[in-house]
Amino acid sequence: MQTRTIRAWTWVHKWSSLISTIFLLMLCVTGLPLVFTHEIDEVLLHQQWEPARSDGEKLNLDQVLEMALSRHPGDVAVFMSFDEDRPVVNVTSIDPGGPAGAYNFQPIDQTSGEPAPPVAGHPAMEFLLQLHTDMFLGLPGMLFLGLMGLLLVAALVSGVVLYAPFMRRLPFGTVRASKAARTRWLDYHNLLGAVTLAWVLVVGLTGVVNTLATPIIAYWKDTALAELTAAYDIPVAAGERASLDAAVKRAQAALPGMKLQFVAFPGSTYSTDHHYAVFFHGDTPLTTHLTTPALIDARTGELAAVASVPWYVKTLSLSQPLHFGDYGGLPLKILWALLDLATIVILISGLYLWLAKPKKKP
Amino acid sequence: MSRKDLGPRAIFGVPALVFGLSLCGLIGALLEDGLWDWIGAALLGSSLLALAWAIGARRR
Repeated sequence: MQTRTIRAWTWVHKWSSLISTIFLLMLCVTGLPLVFTHEIDEVLLHQQWEPARSDGEKLNLDQVLEMALSRHPGDVAVFMSFDEDRPVVNVTSIDPGGPAGAYNFQPIDQTSGEPAPPVAGHPAMEFLLQLHTDMFLGLPGMLFLGLMGLLLVAALVSGVVLYAPFMRRLPFGTVRASKAARTRWLDYHNLLGAVTLAWVLVVGLTGVVNTLATPIIAYWKDTALAELTAAYDIPVAAGERASLDAAVKRAQAALPGMKLQFVAFPGSTYSTDHHYAVFFHGDTPLTTHLTTPALIDARTGELAAVASVPWYVKTLSLSQPLHFGDYGGLPLKILWALLDLATIVILISGLYLWLAKPKKKP
Repeated sequence: MSRKDLGPRAIFGVPALVFGLSLCGLIGALLEDGLWDWIGAALLGSSLLALAWAIGARRR
């Protein structure tokens, strides 16, 4: 490789790393406990709850919805989701005349209609998640972190290119422990970078995709879902809607074998002004992250379409487990944590190598 | 005495193998449950195994 080429790649590696290091360090440090969110929440939150009538008949979804909205008069329903391990239906509603984004979230015991305790994360974990996701800056924060992720990819690619000239006389894994500290740390930096490349690349790229979740969903709604609403003119008023329970049963009949995930009400983010969007997912590790919505005409209760999920929404769905590492049980989580620690060492050693670089003589 | 430069296979051989195994582990655990969770973890763990081997055997 020519000296000029090496210099150019060194420039890319140095600046892509230096600009993003502090943010990548924050992401690695906050991501470490987040890998074990489920386990930490279980230890910190001792929630014991039993349904009112564990063997009793469940209320239908229209009854649950009516009870939920009666507790917040004037609200309109936005989403309804379903807990997997307890008979609880979560109703999210909003006051159309109230402040934007001020949602009311009500977990409801489906055996009695009484409120159930929310399954919320521990405040400390919620704080870390928010910091990790958008640094409390909303969409601009997410997109900024996505940009830092792209810089990470640039640093990885340039690191691979530069690996060859640095290692051309050293067998794989050589650590010159008896040499000066900077040489020693250069070897550790190269070794750690070489063995963790696949994991860092996958977690980095999927992190970038995850930061695009809001625009991806908005684009999907504006294009693919908009085609389904072309035949409609006036949005369906709440009083004109068909039975929710029947709509969900109709959707389940159209997608047999799939698990009910959530319902988006007409006018909400994940639906149109004219449909109940009933979302299902599969039950294998792969398909559990791939959702398929069935659109039910909210006025007639008839099946309007089983919307095919476009490639970019599938990519977003698959990016989530590959970023969080929560799909292969505890062994995979432990590896995720160890590789996260290795990445922290790479970032700090990279910073050290830059700071300890011999100054050019004037 | 100058040492001869290593070829691309000698430089990138082990990192490429670890890259491939790790990627298989990451995707394999996503495709299947049960046994594949363990196989996936083992394949991804090859990266840490290579690290431990290098630190143990190649530290000089």
